[in-house]
Amino acid sequence: MHEEQLNPTLHSEEIIGEAETFKNQLLRLKRENKLAVFSAFVIFLFILAAVFAPLLTPYGYADEDIMNRLQPPSSEHWLGTDDAGRDVFTRLLYGARISLAVGIIPTMISILFGAMVGIIAGFVGGKVDAVIMRIADVMLAFPSMLLAMVIMYTLGDGIINIFLALALVNWASVARVVRSETLALKKSEYVEAARCIGVKQRVIMMRHILPNCLPSMIVLFTLNIPSSILAESSLSFLGVGIQLPQAAWGLMVNTGRQFFYSHPWLSLAPSIAIMIIVMAFNFLGDGLRDVMDPHLKK
Amino acid sequence: MKKFAVLLLVLAMVFSFAACGGEKDTQVDVEPGLLRVAMLSDMATMDVAQTTDDYFVPMNVFDRLFEVKVVGDGVTDIVPSLVDTYSAADDSVTYNFTLKEGLKFSNGSALTASDVQFTFERLLTAGGVNDDIPLEVLGAAELQAGTADTLAGFVVADDLNFSITLAAPNAGFIAELTSPAISIVDKETFSEGFGMKIEETIGSGPYKVTEWVVNDHYTLEYNENYWGTAPTATKVVVNIVPDPSTQNLMYQNGELDMIDLGELDTSIVESTYKTKYADKIITSRRVGLTYFAMNANDEYLSDINVRKAIQMAVDRDAIVAGIFNNQATVEHGIIPAGVWGYNEDITKIPYDLEAAKQLLTDAGYAEGEVTIEIAMDSTSSSGTQLVIQVIQQNLIAAGINAQIKTYDESSWLALRNSGEMDCFVATWTMDYNDPANIMYTFYGSEAKTKIRSLNYADTEVMARVAAASSIIDDDARRAEYQALEEIIVIEDAAWLPLYENTHLFAIGDRVADFTPHWAGYTNFYAIDMIMK
Amino acid sequence: MLKSIASRIGQTLIVIVGVAMLIFFLLRIVPGNAVATMMSEHADAATIARISAELGLDKPWYVQFWIYITGALHGDFGTSYALHRPVKELLLLSFPNTVKLAVLAALVAWIIGVLAGIVAAQKKNGFLDRIFMGFSLLGVSMPVFMVAMILQYTIAYKLHWLPISGGDSLKCFILPAIALGWNSAGSIARLTRSTLLEVLQEDYIDTARAKGRSQMGVIVLHALRNAMLPVLTMMALQLSSLLSGAVITETVFGINGIGRLAVDAISGRDIPLLQGTVLFTTVLVVLGNLVADCLYTVLDPRIRKEA
Repeated sequence: MHEEQLNPTLHSEEIIGEAETFKNQLLRLKRENKLAVFSAFVIFLFILAAVFAPLLTPYGYADEDIMNRLQPPSSEHWLGTDDAGRDVFTRLLYGARISLAVGIIPTMISILFGAMVGIIAGFVGGKVDAVIMRIADVMLAFPSMLLAMVIMYTLGDGIINIFLALALVNWASVARVVRSETLALKKSEYVEAARCIGVKQRVIMMRHILPNCLPSMIVLFTLNIPSSILAESSLSFLGVGIQLPQAAWGLMVNTGRQFFYSHPWLSLAPSIAIMIIVMAFNFLGDGLRDVMDPHLKK
Repeated sequence: MKKFAVLLLVLAMVFSFAACGGEKDTQVDVEPGLLRVAMLSDMATMDVAQTTDDYFVPMNVFDRLFEVKVVGDGVTDIVPSLVDTYSAADDSVTYNFTLKEGLKFSNGSALTASDVQFTFERLLTAGGVNDDIPLEVLGAAELQAGTADTLAGFVVADDLNFSITLAAPNAGFIAELTSPAISIVDKETFSEGFGMKIEETIGSGPYKVTEWVVNDHYTLEYNENYWGTAPTATKVVVNIVPDPSTQNLMYQNGELDMIDLGELDTSIVESTYKTKYADKIITSRRVGLTYFAMNANDEYLSDINVRKAIQMAVDRDAIVAGIFNNQATVEHGIIPAGVWGYNEDITKIPYDLEAAKQLLTDAGYAEGEVTIEIAMDSTSSSGTQLVIQVIQQNLIAAGINAQIKTYDESSWLALRNSGEMDCFVATWTMDYNDPANIMYTFYGSEAKTKIRSLNYADTEVMARVAAASSIIDDDARRAEYQALEEIIVIEDAAWLPLYENTHLFAIGDRVADFTPHWAGYTNFYAIDMIMK
Repeated sequence: MLKSIASRIGQTLIVIVGVAMLIFFLLRIVPGNAVATMMSEHADAATIARISAELGLDKPWYVQFWIYITGALHGDFGTSYALHRPVKELLLLSFPNTVKLAVLAALVAWIIGVLAGIVAAQKKNGFLDRIFMGFSLLGVSMPVFMVAMILQYTIAYKLHWLPISGGDSLKCFILPAIALGWNSAGSIARLTRSTLLEVLQEDYIDTARAKGRSQMGVIVLHALRNAMLPVLTMMALQLSSLLSGAVITETVFGINGIGRLAVDAISGRDIPLLQGTVLFTTVLVVLGNLVADCLYTVLDPRIRKEA
């Protein structure tokens, strides 16, 4: 509960006062933080690879060739083949689709839902606030991995369920941050003014509060993606994640795990892919946070 | 850019760690006679009445009336264990037994005929899962239903002598008595905590359980009161290590004296064990077989032409070579190799993709019209999952629209037991060395066929299967089983046998020799592990 | 201050009740018949019905909920389907291992995290900053089981410094603790770095510098002391989440801890065990957070004044 108590007036003044445009912030990022820019470039490359996967490889991600299983890397199979004779490089490319989707989609859902709930809680206040925040507290109380496991257990396997589980796990922390920002903004002069001249609540929330929460939402978005990508690998480890013959990096690491000591490329290739993308999102998120929202450092 | 290069450098350092580091010999001091093994999960109970999987403690801590002895490569013999002598009446209905003299449980109390009687009665009344064999005894149904207090067919003459009368003749009864299910328990000390508390789980076998830390490890130690020769492994520690990769590394590091290579992928066995530990590998046949079951009530599978096409479309040789590196043999019947009654000369199903396609076309099916769902249990081994995927590809190649659907274990079982499953792949490992074990379980009655062979319909065959166990003449009984096998597999095309696995183990430097369980179970008799 | 602590305790109670309800309802809508799984191959309809009745699964949900809540209040979480033992017994057996692992892992995380954070802050944007932050981030960026397996292979198998798995001795917990602790080090390092950087810009640091203290002296004596508060809070939060079970680390290293119980419960569809494990650990985390919050309230001068 301490976030909103730390000098809210200063907070709101800064957000509104230094109305630096999004474009300017990005320019500043480009100027000040080369690593973040490079990270953005890496992410862009991965997205390209995911989108154009079919053009980059002659194989399909589920094409099995039992007679040629566990082949070492060669000119035919750049990263060798897996335990069912599937081309690992191909699966890495197609895996980018699911892994990026698992990173982005649930995070997007949780940010949008969390922000909506957070704004309502902060703006309406009173009982609505109390009920929403207690529910958020309950969600936050669970160790996230355990909660995701239980939700997957309940919903069953499947990618849609993974989206849902991860979104359910993450919305509450977003709601908390956005709520505290809303509380600060609520006290700002122009929201007071808008209220006085009788602007509808919904309009104030949409027009005035939401846009001002955007920077922190964007930062949270970039920073939550890596944890979702990693969560997929943990869920696959537990056997409740994406199912074969689908390709996802976490699943690939996990099925390659038993061959780690004899055919290390099977699990190392997707591991390194996960590591690079996770680091890239982290660096980009850090950079964005530095230029956009100095108060999110917590 | 430079900074990123630095990061990559750090990464490279971490990974290259793996490449360096000299191999040192660090055989830690281990007390002599200590056998260290690992299992993937802990046992739920030590009580055979409550489990059909956790046989390690029952096999080592308890004795049976008879045991199966491995006398040569793939050759087994049934030998008396607690029993000294026995005789069977000509009708195979009544059997007379005499126990060895001076038998004792690990707590010192005598093992007598009334303990055997108690064992049979308890299996029937405990509401457990292992009552198939005692149910054959005369009066078993009455005892189970509560209309009788004792098992009428079980007569105790004195401490050493007793007789068992069956409800129907069964020439394979002695073979059945070797099953771990018939582990003899002590009537006097039997109590509530049997199977769960180590001090209340008393047997007469070579070992007693001295420690059980749930989910961590359990320890067996030599039972001084054991009637037979003392084992060379005087103490056995079973560690629970849920990750096979970790077990693999532990074995290579000298932390395990034996590893079950069945847990590892064949390619790892091939690349690591067959090269570095070739002289440490112990091979055993896993007596049983993996099969593909087809539902006789299914819209398409009820057509024998479809079933025949499927039989011909699956390339079993490729499965055995590709997935199992030939650590398996193709099976052609129902009774697996290594079982009494196995028929080498059964008509073999050919692999013929064109003939399969032709058969479907002739039967009037368009390409892709036949649609079936192969149900996969998500907990089945990675080998089985690969096999299912290959079968799917084979069937698609034959123009059958085969889909794999994954179910969690409980949903899979529920669906199978409902008789609604289209088809599935599963493995049956023999409990005792008699064809009745598999023939009766799969084709003995309508209740059995509904679950096991997915609604196999021929009631005449079922009646013959049920009657076969009472044929007294061995040759006649074998001929009958083999005739039935031919009808089910070839004429009715109701069953697609796939392969029988070979089970490999690797022993450590401290072990001199090891004889696995005759049917290649993961569980083994620690007394058959000869320590250096 | 007392008032704020009291209200915090009140909130915590509400959260615990909410957690208990959520777990109950999440696990009641699971597909598949738990009893059928438990009985495995041998389940006929009559046996399933009998066992369901024994376990109270045939009763309406509100009766089951009442049994579950009143049981939990008495520390009775029911009996595990798969292991045939009281869940409480299993939890008590696993918990000491989890505590051992969590405390060691927290130590690792704090040492790596704080050290990396200090060095990185001192050499802001320099070579060492990147190296140390990169190293601490590495643990977060790889799937935990990769870290675990690389450690097993290098330290245990190739170098023979430590055992690969299992055992009760402290030695057996070092590798898992590194795998798990490294994973949490990244966030501590980042926080230490950013708070230090902030504190280093304060006036009194300039004063200290003016007095001629060395950079390291400034950091250790002045900056660190003031920057440690948020870091300490985060440490407390992390410890409680480490206690909730390192699901994967425990499985890979064969440690019988809370996390592995949860995994076993999931794969065996063992509802009482899963319910008990999740409830137990979540309540633990909630209580841990409560303690951390109270500590914060007591320690932080700003909050102390406001309250």
